Amino acid sequence: MYLEVSKLKKSYGEGGSFIEVLKGIDLSVEKGNLCVIQGTSGSGKSTLLNGIGGLDQMDSGSIRVDGKEICGLGQDGLSDYRRKNLGFIFQFYHLVPNLTVKENIQVCEYLSEHPLDLLELLETLGLTEHQNKYPSQLSGGQQQRCAIARALIKNPRLLLCDEPTGALDSETSQDILVLLEKVNKKYGTTILIVTHNNSIKNMVDQVVFIKDGKIQKNYRNEQKVPAAQLEDL
Amino acid sequence: MQKILGKRILRDFKDNLPRYLALGVMVVLGMYIVISLVAAADTIIMGSADAAKAQSVEDGQFSLFVPMIGMERQKLEETGIIVEEHFYMDYEAEDGSVLRVSAIRQKIDRARADAGRLPERNGEIFLEKRYCEEHGIFTGDEIWIGGHFFTVCGIGTSPDYDTPYQNLSDSAVDSSQFGTAFVNSPDYELLKEEGCSMKSEEYVYAFLLNNKLTDKELKELLQDFALSANDLDNEYFQEYWERTGGRLDDNFDTSLSKLTQFLTANNNIRIGGAADDVVINKATGLFAGVLLIILISYVISVFVVHTIERESEVIGTLYALGVKRTELLLHYMFLPVMLTLVAGTIGTLLGYSSFGVKMQMQDVYHYFSIPDFPVAYKLYLFVYGIVMPPAAAAFTNLLVIHGKLKKPVLALIRRGQKNVRTRKVNIPNIGFVRTFQIRHFFREKRTAATVFFGMFLALLVCMIGLNCYVLCEHIRTDSVADTRYEYMYTYKYPQETVPEGGEEACGIMLKKEVLGYNLDVTLLGIHPDNPYFDASVERGQSHVLISSAMASKYGLETGDALVLNDEENDKSYAFTVDGIVPYFAGMFAFMEIGSMRELLGEKEDYYNMVFADHALEIDSGRLYATSSKAAVEKSAAVFVEKMWSLIIMMVIVSALIFVVVMYLMLKVMVDRCAASISMMKIFGYRKKEIRKLYLDGNLVIVAVSAAVGIPVSKALMDAAYPYMVSNVAVGLNLTFDWRMYAGLFVSILILYLISTPLLMRKVNRIPPAEVLKNRE
Repeated sequence: MYLEVSKLKKSYGEGGSFIEVLKGIDLSVEKGNLCVIQGTSGSGKSTLLNGIGGLDQMDSGSIRVDGKEICGLGQDGLSDYRRKNLGFIFQFYHLVPNLTVKENIQVCEYLSEHPLDLLELLETLGLTEHQNKYPSQLSGGQQQRCAIARALIKNPRLLLCDEPTGALDSETSQDILVLLEKVNKKYGTTILIVTHNNSIKNMVDQVVFIKDGKIQKNYRNEQKVPAAQLEDL
Repeated sequence: MQKILGKRILRDFKDNLPRYLALGVMVVLGMYIVISLVAAADTIIMGSADAAKAQSVEDGQFSLFVPMIGMERQKLEETGIIVEEHFYMDYEAEDGSVLRVSAIRQKIDRARADAGRLPERNGEIFLEKRYCEEHGIFTGDEIWIGGHFFTVCGIGTSPDYDTPYQNLSDSAVDSSQFGTAFVNSPDYELLKEEGCSMKSEEYVYAFLLNNKLTDKELKELLQDFALSANDLDNEYFQEYWERTGGRLDDNFDTSLSKLTQFLTANNNIRIGGAADDVVINKATGLFAGVLLIILISYVISVFVVHTIERESEVIGTLYALGVKRTELLLHYMFLPVMLTLVAGTIGTLLGYSSFGVKMQMQDVYHYFSIPDFPVAYKLYLFVYGIVMPPAAAAFTNLLVIHGKLKKPVLALIRRGQKNVRTRKVNIPNIGFVRTFQIRHFFREKRTAATVFFGMFLALLVCMIGLNCYVLCEHIRTDSVADTRYEYMYTYKYPQETVPEGGEEACGIMLKKEVLGYNLDVTLLGIHPDNPYFDASVERGQSHVLISSAMASKYGLETGDALVLNDEENDKSYAFTVDGIVPYFAGMFAFMEIGSMRELLGEKEDYYNMVFADHALEIDSGRLYATSSKAAVEKSAAVFVEKMWSLIIMMVIVSALIFVVVMYLMLKVMVDRCAASISMMKIFGYRKKEIRKLYLDGNLVIVAVSAAVGIPVSKALMDAAYPYMVSNVAVGLNLTFDWRMYAGLFVSILILYLISTPLLMRKVNRIPPAEVLKNRE
């Protein structure tokens, strides 16, 4: 297994405001799989993603990525882990406003010793003609594509997407999902998508439902539908 | 990655050009004033020291009633010290001014030519430069002295007249009325033989001790050079000698000695005056520099914090992608460090240019008689001007940015989504606008504190200049107002009875140390009902009243102990301060004249000073010095004149810096409200209404900041000022007139109102979509 999460717990607050967000999560994802984590608001799906991404410290449990334990790593260790293994895509794109599309991607190109080919990536993501534009000159979908390119350029083995289509219309959402599917196939990237969009589960290899901090369902999707054929996005 | 982010730096610089330009101008101005002031002071101090060494400045000088005889000279030479005759005669020039003529010196206090050369042939004369400047004399000109024409062969300086006072009792230099001149020895002898001098020849000897004797040992040796009273044909001396039974005044030994005056270089007001004068400039410059660097660091830190907060989500995302903290730290530090480095370098170069250091030295060159010194380039000043600003910026940023970037990644990413905790404040029904302004203030109270602190630091810089101004102004006005006498006569040979219309007094010059400087204090014995000082002195040898000038300079209060030192005679006098007399014209300790006579062991009718409200008929041969109210007025005016350019520069530069800082701080405040302002625009608020909501409330913040900042910065600067002027023997009256406080307060409000249109322009430029853009 590429990703193994075991007995993961996370809580916030104390006393009256104490809330246990993750109540002992166990999860495994195979290398190169496309996995979706679904759940209602406050179910703990983003917390789980942040834990896997080393953005948030967990209370207990274990997260192993490619055989390496990341729970208990310090800030520097987590930083190295993210640098070497991860790509992140957020609902809000958080691009550097005064860098062009190409430059925004290049910021992360230098983080990897074996980055992907920039021009090829621009082409793959349909950004070639926009490469010299600033974020403010792009549509939401184009900005998200730029954010995906930025996450992919360093050729991460694990791509974590937190509501990647949350701020997009259905047509643009579909474009982005097609892209993620393409990236998954082309580069063999393991992708975890956190979403509350119910249609996305149809395009992935593995579906995980979280409710009240626990995994309610976890199954392999044997009838994958190409992203381009998804409906009701 | 830094290369790519570097592009962002350049674009950020372009996007925020006015802000960075303002900051750059502030650094340039600040470093310009600091470097020019301090470099000018260093140039004068080092130049004076080098000139003193090159021209063999004396260790001291002594005057004799009659010249030394061969045996006495031999006795001195045997000790290993060097003694040279610096005899002189005063001549009246054609315009009535006085030229003090000496033979050219060979060993001590050698003259140095700025133009031309020293006299080599008969009929040539070398003149002191300030006198020439005042009289428009150039080399090759001819002047008429003592019945002879002399050709000016050179113009320059001599280190024993660096401050060319005519008399040691003078309080101000007047080069239009007095200068020194050197001729060759045959010409000097010729002039002496013809006897056209204004008074008889003065027998002054300069000496170099060569570590063979101490001042005290030499003085004791000289006091043994005996003189028969009959050898002197001075009628006043003879009269006084007979009347007092062989006792000269307290400045001399009781036995009859040839020695009339013994003066070490340290106590000679004509030597090293220029270097002493600029010490205050150097202290002011360095102190202002420290304040400026703190201010600059502070402003930069505010900018950086603002930028980081604005870009929090981007930073968080970059972290999430694996960008390291150090990489971002270096990235955010780069621009402020480079900006301050470039601006500091420009400021330093400007400071060392003709518009800087040379301009700063003009006042000194127009008063003191010193050679044209080459500019002193000191490494520490380059470090101060070029390295310190970026180093301070880097250090501040390191602290501030590190703290900001240390936040957890999620906290950075979620900045825009966090719930801002607000204090629950119950506001009475005072209308929506007022309520909004108050709520806005509470929400932005940290920014308001930032504005206050920025204004406060800028006010501190302002206060240096303003305090300098009031100090000079008080010296000018108080010295004149407190001087009730028209004339003050100091006797060499007092008459038997006090001249009619005169008020007798008994004074000696003592020393007291303050902050490392040993300054003169006059202990003055007066009658309780004297009309010239409001000092109701009472009998008692251990009680004195002190002048308010002295009280402020030495930080003395009623009841304090006061020890004054008589360094000439190795004595100390201890007193209790019984009160403070409102007198700002000098460092005085007053005691009852009878008690003073007893303290000095003098007769009950002894006096050596007379004050009068009109000129008295006293033969000048009896007097050491005559001082007048006009002279006090003039010396006070000279003091102010010497400081004027410093004051003007400090006030103008600090005012400019204040405006820049206030504008920048308020702009940050507007920037922080950009989302909120854009929301108001979406709601349909008009420009005027937005101005009321967001800018008019700032007026209150500025007003409160000014109301608190002015007195606090004033109090702090008053506490620091004694250290900055520790070498100057003047009272420290730094009191601001209430109109000055009011003027300062109103000026700040006016400056704010002037900057409001600029801020309003910034507000108008905020697009209604700003709030949407931020939320994406």
